[in-house]
Amino acid sequence: MSDSTKIGRTLLHTRRRMSDESFITLLVASVAVGLFLFASILVPNFFQLQNMLNLVTNNWAVISLGVGVTFLLVSGNFDLSVGGIVALSGVLAVWFSQSAGGGSALSTGLGFPYWLAVIGALGGALAIGALNALFVVRFRIPSIIVTLGTMMLARGFAQVITQGSQRNTNLPDVFGMLGNLTVFGASVKLPVVLMVILLVIAVFIEKKTVFGRLTYWIGANAVAARLSGIDKDRHVTYLYLFSSAIAGIVGILLASEFKSGYSNRGTLMEFDALVIALLGGVAIAGGFGSVVGMFFGALILAVVTSAATGLVLSPDWQYILKAIAVFVAILTQTWALARRNR
Amino acid sequence: MMSQSSTLAQPPATRGVRVAHFLRNYYIYFVLVAVVALLSVANLDKFDLFERGNFLNEKSIINILRVSAPLLTLAGAFTLLMVSGYIDLSVGSTMSLSAVIYALLAINGVPFLAAFAITMVAGAGLGAFNGFLVVRLKITPVIATLITLSLFKGMALLLVQDGVSAIKSGGGQKMPGWFNSYGREGTLLNLPMAFWVAVAVTLVLVIAQNRTLLGKYAAATGGNPTAAKLSGINTGKIVILLYVIVGVSAALAGIARSSFMSLGDPLSGDGMELTAILVVLLGGTAFSGGEGRVLRSFVGALIIMALTVGMLTVVPAYYQTLVLGAVLLAAAASNHLISRKETAS
Repeated sequence: MSDSTKIGRTLLHTRRRMSDESFITLLVASVAVGLFLFASILVPNFFQLQNMLNLVTNNWAVISLGVGVTFLLVSGNFDLSVGGIVALSGVLAVWFSQSAGGGSALSTGLGFPYWLAVIGALGGALAIGALNALFVVRFRIPSIIVTLGTMMLARGFAQVITQGSQRNTNLPDVFGMLGNLTVFGASVKLPVVLMVILLVIAVFIEKKTVFGRLTYWIGANAVAARLSGIDKDRHVTYLYLFSSAIAGIVGILLASEFKSGYSNRGTLMEFDALVIALLGGVAIAGGFGSVVGMFFGALILAVVTSAATGLVLSPDWQYILKAIAVFVAILTQTWALARRNR
Repeated sequence: MMSQSSTLAQPPATRGVRVAHFLRNYYIYFVLVAVVALLSVANLDKFDLFERGNFLNEKSIINILRVSAPLLTLAGAFTLLMVSGYIDLSVGSTMSLSAVIYALLAINGVPFLAAFAITMVAGAGLGAFNGFLVVRLKITPVIATLITLSLFKGMALLLVQDGVSAIKSGGGQKMPGWFNSYGREGTLLNLPMAFWVAVAVTLVLVIAQNRTLLGKYAAATGGNPTAAKLSGINTGKIVILLYVIVGVSAALAGIARSSFMSLGDPLSGDGMELTAILVVLLGGTAFSGGEGRVLRSFVGALIIMALTVGMLTVVPAYYQTLVLGAVLLAAAASNHLISRKETAS
């Protein structure tokens, strides 16, 4: 079929056809539901409300990181630094709020009040985000390289501050509050509520604001976007700051939940965030994908891993299952899109 | 300055451009000399690793080269793949899986050469699988090799039975005596076989890059894939071949690492993909493809190994990630600055 007839057909069908994006999101969602039902048959006690809730609540950190990563991917950029930022901001929050006169080097902090420690930790996270933006936007170095470098840099700082292990002593009582606070009658933790709010805001920005739509435009065709007078550099800078701020908050909440700043926290989270975005139909080349899709992508991964645990497979299986899940998801999406737009 | 018309025939060789060319071609050797010199001056007698606190003595150099064998083996093939514009994030997992396969074969009584050959073939198979995903199924290289990173790692972990961390002597089974001589025992110049294999692999790849069509086609594919295809190059075949070469190199690296540590550790290659990228970038290879030299990556690998091993003697181990991250960013930035200088004017 020639291009013009294809375009003609697309135009003709625009009114009653849903967009490719909604189509893929629907596909991903049905795969997630289907997998859940399938797992319910295989695994005893899988089909329970509590288990459904756990699939979401146990993954609040990765889903939150996925929001920033999704926006960046849509704009055509990677962010692999989020796992490192999670470690860095958590360690910074602990270091800043540990009281000044501790027994050993690892129990001595700067003795800031907690609110100041949180601001400081966020500042550290934003600094890494700014570094990402500087290298990607100003120096035009491929984002995958830059964010791998800043991932190592952020984790490196966390390791130096904690001397390669963790800081968990001499903390004020208020430190453990945020991450363990429960709402709605002690059933849902605050971080999960924040994740839901973040998702709602992200979907709103994505669908209903100029900023959100420009992100797609930049990702779909950066040159056209620039020629139409869009300040791409500034836009991508904001996205990197946005993503690093989310990662910073996740790090602070995790540190608060465990009352410790651990330099290896968030290891491989950057890859998980990337994987759930890809599972959710976000195109690695940019310009395509959605936050809702990413959310269902996270559910697919959660169902696969928790079903594996339920079947008492050795934990080593999770790597292979993850690989197969991504492989099948990518192939299905490519195939379904190609078939649909034939 | 030359006139406008002659720029077609010959790029204007202004002083800035000449300096940039010179920098791109030779800076890596200066960096190596600088790192070695710096570490030789620093106070190194904290550890027994270096006798008499001198970085530049025979024993410490042999030690570093021995530890470097896996990375040196991998650097060349990884460079060629990146020159063609592709990437393999699964090299670390390929390495781990090969190490486990090799150790499993050895501990079950397979002789050295047979175990060696079977592991290499396995590595070629793993590489071909990557190539298949990328070229035939048209999955983006980053995603495809992220999938196999997870897959190969899972396979390596499953090959090691539950409750044991690695394939090693114990439980009625014993590693054969020859197992660690490949990676440890001194041969020529007191360096082990593994190191000489790394040198041989690099030599072959240098020749392949400079004297054969493979090198030219790889650069053409990376420089402009469409143009390469239109001029009749079977880019798909070239790319699969390059993935196979990377797979074999990763298997050799796995054998070297496994032999050096005397065990088949399913996590031994973790993070190797990052180090490989770091080394190749340090060698001035353009991430977007089309440009890069095997030999410069080899030198880049030497720098990284000298830096990591040497650094252990000066600062605590937990500074390593920070320094490597900084080196990665600095290498990326300097690549950018040099190539901008080259294309400017």
